[in-house]
This record gives sequence, C-alpha cells and structure tokens, in this order.
Amino acid sequence: MELLDDIKAAKEVVQSLLKAKKTFRMYPDTNPMYAKTIEDTNAKFRNFFDYRDELTFKIKQNELFCDSEQIYHNPQKEDNIALFFFKDGLREITFKKGFSVKELEDFLKILTVDYDREVLDDDVVTLLWERDFQNIKYVVDEAFLTEDEDYENEAVREVKDKASEGDELAKAYEDSFNEESVKDAVIVPLTDKDLHTIVKEIEKDAQDKTSKLITIIFEMLYQAENKSEYEDVVHFLNSIIEFSITHGDLETALHILRKTKEVFGVSSVADEAKKNLNMVFSFLGFDATIKLLGELLDSGIEINEKMWDEYVSFFDKNAIQPFITILGELKSIPARKNVISALIALGKKDIQSLAKGLQDSRWYVVRNIIYILGKIGDKAAVDYLLKTVNHSDMRVRKEGIKALGELGAPSVFPVLRECFNDPDVQIRTAALRALGNIHSTTAKSIILKRMTDAVFAKTEFSEKKEFYEVLSKWKDDDVVDFLVKTFKKKAFFKRAANDENRACAAYGLGLIGNKDALPLLHKAKDSKSKLLREQVYSAIKRIEYGR
Amino acid sequence: MAGRENRKEEFSEAKDIVNQLAVIIRTSAIHDTGNVAITTAIGKFTAIINPLILAEKEILLELGGEFFFFNETRIRYPLEYLTSFDFLAREFKKRGLGSIVFRATLKSEDVQGFLRAFIASASSLEPFEALAEAIADIGSLGIGRLRKIRDEEKTEGTSDVRKMVKKSYFNAVSYTRGVISKIKSGEKVNIKKAKRVVESMVDMILEEEQLLLGMTAIKDYDEYTYHHSVNVSILSVALAQRLGMSKRSLTELGLVALFHDIGKIEIPSEVLNKPTSFTDDEWRMVQKHPFWGVRAILKMRGIDATAARAAIVAFEHHMYHDLSGYPKTRESYELDFFSKIISLADQYDGMTSARVYSRIPMPPDRALSIMMERSGTQLDPILFKFFINMIGVFPVGTLVMLDTKEMGLVYQSDSAFLDRPKVMVIINGKGERVDKYIVDLTEKKSDGKFLRTIVKTMDPNKYRISPAEYLL
Ligand SMILES: [Fe+2]
Ligand SMILES: [Fe+2]
Repeated sequence: MELLDDIKAAKEVVQSLLKAKKTFRMYPDTNPMYAKTIEDTNAKFRNFFDYRDELTFKIKQNELFCDSEQIYHNPQKEDNIALFFFKDGLREITFKKGFSVKELEDFLKILTVDYDREVLDDDVVTLLWERDFQNIKYVVDEAFLTEDEDYENEAVREVKDKASEGDELAKAYEDSFNEESVKDAVIVPLTDKDLHTIVKEIEKDAQDKTSKLITIIFEMLYQAENKSEYEDVVHFLNSIIEFSITHGDLETALHILRKTKEVFGVSSVADEAKKNLNMVFSFLGFDATIKLLGELLDSGIEINEKMWDEYVSFFDKNAIQPFITILGELKSIPARKNVISALIALGKKDIQSLAKGLQDSRWYVVRNIIYILGKIGDKAAVDYLLKTVNHSDMRVRKEGIKALGELGAPSVFPVLRECFNDPDVQIRTAALRALGNIHSTTAKSIILKRMTDAVFAKTEFSEKKEFYEVLSKWKDDDVVDFLVKTFKKKAFFKRAANDENRACAAYGLGLIGNKDALPLLHKAKDSKSKLLREQVYSAIKRIEYGR
Repeated sequence: MAGRENRKEEFSEAKDIVNQLAVIIRTSAIHDTGNVAITTAIGKFTAIINPLILAEKEILLELGGEFFFFNETRIRYPLEYLTSFDFLAREFKKRGLGSIVFRATLKSEDVQGFLRAFIASASSLEPFEALAEAIADIGSLGIGRLRKIRDEEKTEGTSDVRKMVKKSYFNAVSYTRGVISKIKSGEKVNIKKAKRVVESMVDMILEEEQLLLGMTAIKDYDEYTYHHSVNVSILSVALAQRLGMSKRSLTELGLVALFHDIGKIEIPSEVLNKPTSFTDDEWRMVQKHPFWGVRAILKMRGIDATAARAAIVAFEHHMYHDLSGYPKTRESYELDFFSKIISLADQYDGMTSARVYSRIPMPPDRALSIMMERSGTQLDPILFKFFINMIGVFPVGTLVMLDTKEMGLVYQSDSAFLDRPKVMVIINGKGERVDKYIVDLTEKKSDGKFLRTIVKTMDPNKYRISPAEYLL
C-alpha cells in the first residue's frame, strides 16, 4: 500500500534527524556543514507541517510510529534512535508547527550529547525538561522511577489509622471560644530593593563553589577529633586537588596547598592535624597524581611560570620518580620544559633519587636527567655522571661530558682526558668544550698536553681549530706564548700541515685580541697558503677593529 | 517568518504586557486618565500588545490560581516584575476578574475607557458586573469572571490532579527512602534517576504548587525522616520558584535539599527517635550531623559541582543567617544562597513536625510567628518575606475558627491575600461536625464585606486532630 504523503514526510523527518545526529557529532558549530544540517532538517520539518500542525512520534523500543504507521525500525542497539529515546522513559514526542530553527538546533544538540560520559548526570529527558521547549511536548513513562509501589498506600493507611484513634474536635470547638483572637499580622511587603538584592544574590550564586567547599573541609580539619576524621579531611582535599587537575584548574589546587601550608603556621591547630596534612603534599607526588598533571601539561593549557614554580615548591621529593616517568611520555615541548624545571627544583633536595633516572631505558630521558643534574650544579652528581660517559648512546655521552664540564670537580679530569682518545670526534670535541667550560689551570694543561701530542698533528683541521678556539679562552701568557711559538714555527717538510697549525694559531691570537701579535701577523699577510692568509687577515681585523 | 516563530516560542512580550498593564493601572489610580504620564504609558502598552493581537488574532490574558496565562501558556517573568504581577493578581481578585480578552488592536481611547471602568469598579459592591457593564461598548476587549474554586476541589479533593500530586509526593518519599538506605549500605546512587524524580517534583510545584505544599502539612508519618527530606525539598523549590530561578537551578536545589540531613544516618535511631530530650552527649552528637553530612556526600559522590553544592548545604543548614547556630567556624563565613533557602524550609518543617527538632510539634501558625521573630537574625529577612508570601499567614494545616463560627483546617494559601486562605470546614456554624467543604476567604458578600474571616487559631495536636485525615 502506498504511504500517505504526510506519513512519508514524517519518515523523512526521522531520516534527517538520524543524519543530523551523525553530522552534529563530527562538525563544530563554525563549520558550514553544521548550518547546512540544521537547514536540511528544518526543511523536512517544514515539509511535514505543510500537511499537518503537529508531528507526533510514538516511541517503542525499536520502532517509531506516526499515527499507526511504522516509520522507523531498527533491531540493532547501535545508532537506534528509537531506543535512544525509549531507554530514558520517553514514549511519545510531539513537535508543533511553531518549532523554530533555534529550537531545532537545541534539540539536535540534545540528540548528540555523549550520554555515556561518566561525569554527565543528565539523560535525554532531563535535557529536554531543562530546555523547556515551547514547541516540543513529550510523554514520559516514569514507572521506573518508582521505588516502592505500595509505599503510598501503606503510609496513608498508617497515618489515617493513627488519626482515627479519636480526636477531640468537639472540645477544640468549645475551647476556641475562650482563645485569644488573632492579631492582625504585620507583613512587611517586598520592596524593589529586596528584589534587587535577591537578583544580585542569584547572580553571585553562579560562581564556582569549590573554594567554599575547601573552606568547609578545613573547618572539618580544625574540629576533627580522631584519626579517621583526619584521614577523611586529607582524602577530601586530595580529591579536590585531583578534580582540579583533571579540569585544568591549577589555581584551585594551589589554593588548597597555600592554605595547607598556612595551617602549619597556626599554633592553635593541633599537631595531629598538621601531621596528617603532610599527606596532602605527598599526594601531589603520587604516580597517579603526576600522571594527571602530565595530562594537564600536555593539554596545551597556558600555565604561567610563576604559578608553576609555586606549585612545584609544594612537592615532596617523592615526586621525583613519577616526574622522571612522565618526562619520557609527554608530547609537548612546553610540558617537558615544565617538568624539567620541576626536576631542577626538586632534584636539589635529593640528587640520589634524581640520579636514578640515569638508569632509565629511554636515552632521551637520561639525556634530560643529565641536563638537569648539570643545571643543579651540585658536585654530588659527578659520580653518577661519570658513568654516563660510557653510555651506549652517543647523544647521552655528549650530554654527560657537557654536564661534567659544568660541574668541574677534580674527579672529572681523568675521564675527560681519556675522552681525547675516543675514536669519535664528537666525544673529543665535547670533552674539549667541557674542559674549556671548567676553565681551570688543570683543564688548560690537559688541553695543551693534547695539542702537543704527536697524535694531534694528524687531526683534521676543523677539530684542530676548535682546540685553538677553546684554548684561547685562557688569555694568559702561557697560551699566548704557545700560540706565538706555533705561529712562528717554520717547516720545510710537511709544509701544508705546518701552515694549518699556523692558521689555527692566528685564529687563536685573533680571538684573544692581543695587539702585540699584530706585527707578527702582518708579516704573514702575503703567505702563499691561502688558508693562512685568510686566518691572518681575519685575526688582524678582529684585533684592529675589535670584531 | 522567523520572527513570528521566535515570538511564538518565547512569548517574551507577554511578561512585558502584564507588567505594563500593572503600570498603567497603578498610574491611573493616581492621575486622571487624560494625564500625560498615563497617555505615554498607554502608548507603550499598545505598542507592545497590538502587534501580538494582530499576529495571534485574539489574546486571552487569564489569571489561574497564582499565575497569569497568555493564550494558555503560563507567563514566566523575571524577579523584577514580581511586584507588578502580584499587584495585578490582587487587583483582578478584588474585582472577581479572571480574564481579559483582546479581540482587535487597541486604540488609546479603548484603554482609557477600560482604565476608568477598572478604577471605578473597585468601589462598587459588585465590581465584576460594574466593570463588565462599563466596558460593554468597547469592542476590542472583553472580560471573564474569576473561577472561584475548582469544582473538583469543592469537597474533599479526590480529583485526578490531587491523585497525581499525591502520587508524585509519595513517590519522591519512597525514592528518598531507597536512596538513603543505599547510602547507608555504601551502595552507589544513580544521580540521573534522582534528578528525574526531583524534576517531576519541580513540575508539580510549577503547576500545582499549593496542592503539593498541602502535602507537606502532614507530619505524623512513622518514617518522618524521609518525609522531612522531601518536604524541605518541596518548600525550598517552591520558594525558589518565586525567585525566578531556572529549572536547572530548581532541580539542583531540590536535589541538594533532599540530602541536607544525610549526616543523620550516623546517629543511632534510638537517639534520633527518643521520646525525651537529648542528653548533653546526644546533643553534641546531633550537632555533628552537618560534618557527617559533608562526609557522607563526598564519599558517595566524589567531588563534582553537585556534590560540592550538597556538601555545602549539609554543612551550613543549621548555621543561621547571623551564624549564631552550629557548627561554629574558625574563619569568617558567608552562607551559600541555597543554604539560606533550605534552612528556612528546614526550620519550618522541623518545627511543625514532632521528631526533627523538638519533641513537641508546633502548630504551623505558631511556628511561623516564631520564625517571624527570627527574621533578620537567624533567618534571612528578604527570603522570609517570600516564604510568608508562599505559605500565607495561616499555613496549610492550621486549625482555625472563622467569624461565622465555622471551624476548619487551612487548605490552601492565597498569595494575593495572605490572611485569606481557602479553608476546609469540618464543623459548621452550629457546632456540628459536617461533611467537609471548602470555602474561599477572599469571597465577599453583596455589601462588599468578606464572607468569612479567621478569628482564632488552635493547636490541632492538643486535640489530637490529624490534618492527614482531612488533607490526604
Ligand atoms: Fe539538620
Ligand atoms: Fe532537617
């Protein structure tokens, strides 16, 4: 049998709703598809309203009906719009002709809410109810809300039984003649000012309530009397911290931490309370808490440096290990930077814990830990760092050598010296720079010793030049003498190699900026060696023009 | 086209029409209708209403119970309009006027004519008839009589509406009982469901406020704790509804109110239900229930916005407006808005029932007069005014003697005439027990005087008179 036109139109409305339910999930409201979806669906509704003033769907578990015609059927659970309405108790829904575009948009939004999210306490009916559509009416079966069918009857019977025990109505009537008459009640009417005050209060009431809750929990702390009450308070504070971190609200967590710290300073607060409060700081450093914090950092929320530093200042050293763990997991560079700055601050309290990170299986984590140890600058880290020089990953070794250069304890010299014998130029150069960074007499003599070693003559020019560059950081007589001597050196054999050395020495003299060296340099201006000429030329320029 | 649809959806001008009508009536009580202040106000009125009359063809502005309806849609309004709405409702009721129908666009003279007739009718013995006659010539508008008492209410009230309200009430109680026992045994509570229960309660309050308030007047249930929770929830939502709060906020308030005393689950029932007064130790224990409430809620829910709200109310509901109650706090403190509302409702329901605060229940009018003394100290004075407006000077369940020597129980309050509720008469003027019937104390005799007035109130408990017998 052919369907009637209006039933066909109703069917099309359902199809357009199904489609809209999909597209609304995919596109944000700025996308043209979003507007188009509303437009298309609205057209289907308008089309139906050309036939009738009201569109009613009767809702069964897997079917929708319009009049007695089935217009939708889906035995599957997935994407079943009938079931979607049915499961929350909706049994009938009616759209009236006045159904506006704005109403349609809001209705579609309700259709596309992700109801399975745990934090959401609303179901479809609740949202329809709250939105209070002028042109959508619906019928709900509330049977599932009834806990106990018989309660009404029982309660009424019981209360009426009691009542029928016999009242003394007649006596009341008699007595009433002797009662005092009622006085005219003085009722002060509501004024506009009253209304204004209430409006203001309602506006103010929209604020977030978390800080109020925190105040209350601290009051509970002040009045707690036994272990379990203290533990509860700590547990609640921790939960709020967790909740705030999950919602990207570091400020609230900070609020708790500041207050907790404040309480330590109040002498009238029981020691027992303070003892328990320490658990709040420990909680910050738990694996799970730091993991959440990592998610917050990675979410791209802007965190200002001051706030972060303050937050970090509340951590215990128990946070070090979890921070190291997430350091290797974070995706964004700013997040990693924040964790590194936290570890720099925290590591100072416990170098040993931080150094454990050097055993991490991820090379980039180890490299970061080395960097952090270097930044902390505590000589206690040297022993740990020495081992990193032999790490299997080149990048780690380089970072380790660099950090040793920053720390510069006596024990680093044998290791750095040994690095000069490494077959890899990057390691040799790193050791050279580290020594340059240490800038002590010992460091200088190690470098000089290397440069006078027979092996050094075979070194590539670029590496050689680097040695001269580092050496020139010591602008003392020893070095100047060495450079001048090298520059003056003449050779009949291996002339090219000698010119290379001279070029490097010129470069070094230039870096030192020694004017006394100028006449010497000028003499070599016309050397046949192009390399030498160039280096001399730029050294002169550097000395004469300070550039 | 779109504009028309929007208007249909919101009827947003409806509230402005009522407000402006109140303004012109008020102004014309002071000035002559030709006065420029009035003509300007009339101009504004016609400017709002005429386009709507054109669009809707006919507009029926109707007073039903406490609310105005605009072509059968209840008009919602912001709190700023409250005094205008109350004023207009009162002026309607004074004249027995139930509705005005606007049939064609209004000319300024039409409105002026109506205003003159409206003002003049106030001093007439039969104001409605006088008004009807005086405006008979004005073609663009007409009036309808106020329906006094719904037929189904005339006797004991076995109407479908009453049945529905009762069902909704008891359902909420039994649901609350279920939830509390779940909490006691540490089970998870389904908040989606709790919300739905409260929503259906809020709906009842929006539609049948007075009937539902009537349900809260019965206090002698065995398991009063659960009834108390629901009553406090109903009284709070009904009060907040008058403040123009959104449906969402009303649900949240109603939900939170249900759990205000949840901390009491830790107090042994032997103590709670003791027939005698508490010892000092017991009293100390009772005073801890706000703390225990916070604990129970946070443990049940974890932390989120609703839990925070519920915990705050559980903590604050005995602190009082002036913070003279308990618990006392170490740091300076400001009460939450919800707590202010809920503590009013809690005090009232507590005082009028036998088990919540004191051993002896207080008659409602007496509880109210004590609360009146506490207004401004223990209780928020502005919210208390709203509260009185809601339950009247003689709240439902008050045993009253009328000047006709009839005796009965207050059945429903009237927010336009706070001391003139509807009364269910149980003893007639001759002192005979009769089949209960309902009278409206705003009704007037032909000489313009009221038919009945409350002259005395009595304590129903003293005479073992149970409102349940009459009101259920
Ligand atoms: Fe309480
Ligand atoms: Fe209570």
